[in-house]
Amino acid sequence: MRRETQNILLILLGGALLKLSFTDMYLRYVKAGLQPLLIAAGAVMILLAGLAIVRDLRAPKEAEEAHGDHEHKSSRSPWMLLLPVLAVFLIAPPALGADTVNRSDRNAAQESKSANGFAALPEGAVIPLSLGEFVTRTAWDDSGSLDDRVVKLTGFVVRKNDATYVARLAISCCAADASPIKVRMTGTGFDSMPTDQWVEVTGKVVPGSATKETAYVPTFTVAEIAPVATPVDTYES
Amino acid sequence: MPGIISEVTITSEIRDPRPRGRGPLRGKVTSLEVLCLLLVLALVLQDWLIGVLDAPQLRTASTVFVAVCVQAMPFLVFGVLISGAIAAFVPASALRRLLPKKTALAVPVAGLAGVALPGCECASVPVARRLMQQGVPPAVALSFLLAAPAVNPIVLVATAVAFRDAPMMVPARFVGSLLTAMVMGWLWTRFGKAEWIAERALRKFEEKEGTSRWAVFTETARHDLVEAGGFLVLGGVFAAAFNVLVPTAWMETLGAQIVLGVIVMAFLAVILALCSEADAFVAVSMTALPLLPRLVFLVVGPAVDVKLFALQAGTFGKSFALRFAPATFVVAIASALAAGAVFL
Repeated sequence: MRRETQNILLILLGGALLKLSFTDMYLRYVKAGLQPLLIAAGAVMILLAGLAIVRDLRAPKEAEEAHGDHEHKSSRSPWMLLLPVLAVFLIAPPALGADTVNRSDRNAAQESKSANGFAALPEGAVIPLSLGEFVTRTAWDDSGSLDDRVVKLTGFVVRKNDATYVARLAISCCAADASPIKVRMTGTGFDSMPTDQWVEVTGKVVPGSATKETAYVPTFTVAEIAPVATPVDTYES
Repeated sequence: MPGIISEVTITSEIRDPRPRGRGPLRGKVTSLEVLCLLLVLALVLQDWLIGVLDAPQLRTASTVFVAVCVQAMPFLVFGVLISGAIAAFVPASALRRLLPKKTALAVPVAGLAGVALPGCECASVPVARRLMQQGVPPAVALSFLLAAPAVNPIVLVATAVAFRDAPMMVPARFVGSLLTAMVMGWLWTRFGKAEWIAERALRKFEEKEGTSRWAVFTETARHDLVEAGGFLVLGGVFAAAFNVLVPTAWMETLGAQIVLGVIVMAFLAVILALCSEADAFVAVSMTALPLLPRLVFLVVGPAVDVKLFALQAGTFGKSFALRFAPATFVVAIASALAAGAVFL
């Protein structure tokens, strides 16, 4: 591959990284903390390619002699750089959803047992909880602090066999390590929601439903369910 | 999108009228024209492409692919900058003075030096290659290559956070990974052949009179980035394919028996190609498994996985990677078991 083509590919790839990090699109793939590193990496790519272009323009002959010969027969691997560029600019893959949840039978949140017990739940008629906290409490908190409390959960709709769940994915580094957190819904109102639709559900936990037999997936009696817009960061950590 | 098109056209306009200085190139289709054609085709077929990728499985795979690439790129950039800096600013003689004369002694030193490169495995491949180029014996550079992604402070802290309930996992992982790196270094000293490593990996950047240090730095970094980046993307394709094709849930149940568990987890580490800063969180969530198979997962992953294999094959050549990766796989399992026997 020619040096000029390599430089263009590098600029495109750097541009793709910058586009991701400036538009919140990067949150579909990695954690928020990676943003400064992504910007730096994109900038360095563009800078390295830019410097090479400037150097070639200033001394074309010399550059040709130094790099022309072996780079023509060098490997074809740099062509692969085009794939992420096209994927980001043309396809922009969505954040992971129901398909990923159904690939595993695990329920991730319950595995991280909190060593110091649980803080008291806040007062109020309706308590908004993250799915992770809700599932962990149902699995480990035997004080029954959640029983008879009205809770509001946010997640997307997942269907497997005959069951319907509200679920989210937790990532610790990037979407490749996503693991599901899910709560089974009973009651009414969720049949009309399409799979992968983001919803807010209010209701109560069925006490004692998160057991080893149910793979620690608690059951949730839905009182109210409403579709909501997809959040900017769809993952829990 | 218009930005991309105009950029390509402008650059090719600047480039094309320039006399090439070599006859046979004239009238030939070069990579530049191919790139333009590919970009135009992709733009024209955009709707069709999106339609094809609309199946849930393919959507998941494409998201995982972009995620692996995006996550790894900053670390690769970090690695090529260090590699460039070594090429430009660290004279070969300084490295030789730093390392013990005897290769057998230099191997553990290089392994421990891996503590100083905070990053994941993608960063260490270009650095190891540059070390070889600067005259460091391959065995020593390889031991650094294997140790760096697993023993650096960031990875150890991540492991400690993930395994709050089993703190002995941290020393077990440290010792297991260091042992893998050292054993592989010594094995290479004894059995390794220089000709397995592709000649291009050891070729020095042609330094001409009057080339400034900065030019060497940026040129080396750019060259490494383009080459290694391509292979990293290839590794991302494999990781995404396996992520969708391999039934993880099924493998997790299989792994509940200890012997089978060790084997299954070792293979899972290879095909999942997780970043070494994240794998502890995945391992801790596999509660169906005893600690030992999970330790094997943590020791094998940073030493050998599909993404790394693609990077190594690209950097050091196929005949190197085909020998080195399977050997590392076996040694890593054995080292993890040894470390597990002591600490767990």
